[in-house]
Amino acid sequence: MSTIFDEIKDAIVDGDEDLAVELAERVIAEKVDPVQAVQLGFIGGIEEVGKAWTNGEAFLPDVMMAADAMKAGMDVLEEVLAAGEGDGGYEDKGKIVLGTVEGDIHDIGKNIVGALLTSAGFKVYDIGIDQKAEEFVAKADEVGAKIIAASALLTTTMKSQKTLVEYLNDNNLRDKYKIIIGGGPTSAKWGEDIGADGWAETADEAVELCKQLLA
Amino acid sequence: MLPKFDVLTDEQINKIHKNSMKILKEIGIEFSYDPVIEIFKKHGQRVEGHRVFLEPDFVEEMVEKAPAQFTLHARNPEHNLVCGDGNTIYMPGYGAPFIYDAEGGKRDATMADYDNFVKLAGASKNIHMTGGTVVEPTDVPDDIRHLKMAYSHITNSDKCFMGSSSGYEFARDSIEMTAILHGGLDVIKEKPALICLINSVTPLKYDDRMLGGLMAYAETGQPMVIASLVMAGSTGPATMAGALSLQNAEVLAGITLAQCINPGTPVVYGSTSTASDMSTGSLSIGNPENALFASASAQLSRFYGVPCRGGGGLSDAKTVDAQAGYESMMVLFAASTTGVNFVLHTAGILQYYMAMSYEKFMVDDEIAGMVLRYLKGFDCDSDEKMAFDVIKTVGPGGHFLTQKHTRKNFKTEFFRPALSDRQSFDAWAKDGLDTNQRAKARWQEVLANYTAPELDADVKAKIEAFIEKRTKELIK
Repeated sequence: MSTIFDEIKDAIVDGDEDLAVELAERVIAEKVDPVQAVQLGFIGGIEEVGKAWTNGEAFLPDVMMAADAMKAGMDVLEEVLAAGEGDGGYEDKGKIVLGTVEGDIHDIGKNIVGALLTSAGFKVYDIGIDQKAEEFVAKADEVGAKIIAASALLTTTMKSQKTLVEYLNDNNLRDKYKIIIGGGPTSAKWGEDIGADGWAETADEAVELCKQLLA
Repeated sequence: MLPKFDVLTDEQINKIHKNSMKILKEIGIEFSYDPVIEIFKKHGQRVEGHRVFLEPDFVEEMVEKAPAQFTLHARNPEHNLVCGDGNTIYMPGYGAPFIYDAEGGKRDATMADYDNFVKLAGASKNIHMTGGTVVEPTDVPDDIRHLKMAYSHITNSDKCFMGSSSGYEFARDSIEMTAILHGGLDVIKEKPALICLINSVTPLKYDDRMLGGLMAYAETGQPMVIASLVMAGSTGPATMAGALSLQNAEVLAGITLAQCINPGTPVVYGSTSTASDMSTGSLSIGNPENALFASASAQLSRFYGVPCRGGGGLSDAKTVDAQAGYESMMVLFAASTTGVNFVLHTAGILQYYMAMSYEKFMVDDEIAGMVLRYLKGFDCDSDEKMAFDVIKTVGPGGHFLTQKHTRKNFKTEFFRPALSDRQSFDAWAKDGLDTNQRAKARWQEVLANYTAPELDADVKAKIEAFIEKRTKELIK
């Protein structure tokens, strides 16, 4: 007989956001252990998708929809998890603020990075497109993020990544956060030039980079 | 010239057209730039915030105003180009920030690379104009990049070129420089001499920068390519018909806007729509879907009565290898044989527009030559060409190598490779060079032998003075 944990896992694998929310609500209503629901259900599901993706069996829509379903379900459980209910605590692998820099309204690459970070167990706060340095920092401060990830797709907006690093320097906040950058025209050299803590060319590499930075 | 073949039936064209009109009327399209919103309001279109809902009749009426063809004027009139009328115009890749070299290395592109690609395009008989933003010259501050780039086109070649579309101000600078080159703004208003690339942000948006550029070109009657790049599966639907409808809606909205600003201003219907790579979400361009989108766009632009931009020597390869060759040939051949007129990115592109390669440029130049020859088709117009007499002279069992008719005709009838190797195995094996290595030797030789056509000293001084003045204003 399948348990609610299996049902959650299947909902994540199927990328079914509505079902994930419904099941999370059932977890609360039926007083199921939320930590087990997260570990066996949500994380179990996202890990399965992540593995299939690494093996080339799953494609981007599979991963991104699974990440969305996971986020929606986890949001429902947030309160009971924060209240420390369940057997043992649940902790994410680290908080990351993600956004596209000022002047740039491209968001697909950023969304892909967000989904893969989520599927790797990070808690991602996506602040959207065309965001000023202060918006990145305000969010990071609010949620206690360790990493700020800034995307730029245009050669004309890459300089906003530099502005972000300078903003942190000017406000004596540079040591508080790790800054990572990415996007089509950026490069490892550009990351070094502006004093970022890391650069990744692909979403996969961004996940590895975050793991290293938070290790 | 070959007849262009179709990839859509009339019924399919109608379905796409109706679908696009429904998108524009019911979903609408977002223009972030306030002056543009005022223009649409003035023309009686429904506006909510920055979203504009366009009436099909209005779009059709405006698109009707755009000319079916136009002449782009070069400083050397021998290089004037007719855009439309079944013509094919080739030019270098556009916008790549990196250079990939023959040894597999990657580096930032510089102004020196920029000049080199303009010269290679200037030297080529297959590349009709020198393009624009042939690389991103990352060693030049971006406040004045547009000035340096225009100067490179003006001084290194006498072919047509493209100007900046990066906001109203930079666009105006490019137009001013071109005006000086041709003897004044009134002259180029009469005889358009500068073209630019305006891109939508798919799905269904145009940003401030591009709209400012669009206004500057439309106001001065300079042509522009209005293009959409739908990444089917990520920025657009995963169906070909859906993605084409979305692209069509965006391009028609841009053309409508240009015609509102200046009725009759020349525009080119642009497409670079393609399929996303569904494993990584990245762009991919060297594929059959891209070729189909280019061909369908050529057909749609014939339907709307405007010239078309699409295709190119497009590849996702990182070096000049077999993949670079077969992908580029497929997309360039499909675009050219189905009637695309303006082929941005004909030469040099690797890895979905991220890089230019000198070696790839030479390979694409060769491909372009082959395709141009193919497009010429058969000449059956004279007895000379039908060759009955020479067939009679040689008769059964002879050969044609020593006939005057052969000597007279082969040079114009046959494509002569500049890069491909047709030697015997032993002759090739002496050096054993592959295409990549031969291409490297070839571009170095072309650059070493290139002399830029002379530019009138007075005109040159005026352009330099303009650059100096603007540089002071722009660099604070």
